[in-house]
Amino acid sequence: MRAYWCVFRMRRRMELQYRGAALGGFICQLFFGLILIALYRALYAGKPQAVPISHISSYVWLQQAFFRMLLATDPDLADKIRTGSIAYDLCRPLHLYTYYYVRILAQKLVGSLLRAVPMLAVACLLPEGWGLASPAGASALLTSLPALFIGLLCVSALENITMAFTMRTLDPRGMQALLNMLMMVFAGNILPLTLFPDSWQPIITRLPYAQLLDAPIRLYTGDYAASAAPGILLLQSAWTVALAAAGLLFWRVNQKRMVVQGG
Amino acid sequence: MSYITVEHLRKTFTVRKKKDRGFLAREKTTVEALKDVSFTVKQGELVGYIGPNGAGKSTTVKVLSGILTPDSGAVRIGGRVPWLERKEHVRRIGVVFGQRTQLWWDVPLLDSYDLLREIYRVPEADFRRRMNELSEALDLGSLLRTPLRQLSLGQRMRAELCGSLLHCPELLFLDEPTIGLDAVSKLALRDFLQWENREKGTTILLTTHDMEDIAALCRRVMVLGHGSKLFDGALEDLYARYRNALPVQELTVQYPNIDHVIAAMYQELGL
Repeated sequence: MRAYWCVFRMRRRMELQYRGAALGGFICQLFFGLILIALYRALYAGKPQAVPISHISSYVWLQQAFFRMLLATDPDLADKIRTGSIAYDLCRPLHLYTYYYVRILAQKLVGSLLRAVPMLAVACLLPEGWGLASPAGASALLTSLPALFIGLLCVSALENITMAFTMRTLDPRGMQALLNMLMMVFAGNILPLTLFPDSWQPIITRLPYAQLLDAPIRLYTGDYAASAAPGILLLQSAWTVALAAAGLLFWRVNQKRMVVQGG
Repeated sequence: MSYITVEHLRKTFTVRKKKDRGFLAREKTTVEALKDVSFTVKQGELVGYIGPNGAGKSTTVKVLSGILTPDSGAVRIGGRVPWLERKEHVRRIGVVFGQRTQLWWDVPLLDSYDLLREIYRVPEADFRRRMNELSEALDLGSLLRTPLRQLSLGQRMRAELCGSLLHCPELLFLDEPTIGLDAVSKLALRDFLQWENREKGTTILLTTHDMEDIAALCRRVMVLGHGSKLFDGALEDLYARYRNALPVQELTVQYPNIDHVIAAMYQELGL
């Protein structure tokens, strides 16, 4: 158990090792956030949408703040599989799926915390309609936090499946490119899911990708009423359990047929 | 009662090769990495495991360390079957894969060791004592706070070794551990392995192409070729058998270069 905790400490060390990269990423995302909001404001000036612009700007900033939760794969893990250094992990007295899950989780958690805090601080200072609006209410904030946490568990389970695919193909790029594209679109990173047509909503909000960031953001902005929160948390949890179970099974099959090539 | 028992071990791999003609056509061939290997090792033995490239040495190590499941055959190490009781088995062994890395690339060595300490649940005091032993033997003292990526190949190799020995394994697999080491480090490493073997009674299986390592460390050698065991016995016997193969200038020295002996043997066996 303590070994798994230690992985978090290691990740923190690693993130702090590259402070320049963190700063660069922060500036880049700040820029992206502003551009996106300017774009949506232009769109709204021509044709106002049903969703208020302050919700959209909050949506964009929360997406940017937790960007590292979605699109950040640990290159070390894929490299380990590719080069065969995974052989070392196979001779540790650890549960392999859990060890990799924790490493993915640690990277996403520590990475996003490091970015989210300054990002949200800046976003709060921006004027209404440009920045991050305060949550729809105390209950909105209180339900969005556990939703965000379950989203984190869910995205880690999703990514561990990508790792299992990498063990088959030995190259993470194909699978990652495909899954990242789906993630960008259906997690609401390219276009907030709230702006998709109404007829799409029943489907896209039930996909696993919507459980990652879209659900907690909608709870925060009040797009989802607080009374709907239990159902949403339940759906998120169900996806998380399903994805973790699928990943666990995939890993177990892989471990049986695994070959570590070369001497 | 032997510590390691290996009986009729077999492992095949499927290799897909490109055909001579055509862009897409490929043929499936089966490579028999281990054909029928049997041996036993007693507790506290230091055995050299040699053979030409592609002989199946690393495959054996991977099977014995619980990474690969063999096609058939029986293996018992300290009463356990490695691939069936993986977690219990690996807690007691240490492995060094000379070509791969187990330490974290971006963080100082000490942090990587700390994680290993947690993984193997080594008590703090034991860890500190062991760390002192190892950093002295492997001359790591000044490197402990340096990130792995800034170390040279030889330094990295020493750091890897330290990582594999931290939890005082009772069985140690060394797969080409002296790659990239300078003369001084190599000698220090040999001394250390001898000490570890003598004082702690650690059983060591050493795979290498460096015959000096074998000559310095192992009284018993096993030679593997084409997936079969070809020789198992004392190093002196191997010398005696292939004495004719030695070039004249080597005959007068007390310890002839063993590379000639091995090369002659491989040649005779058609490897």
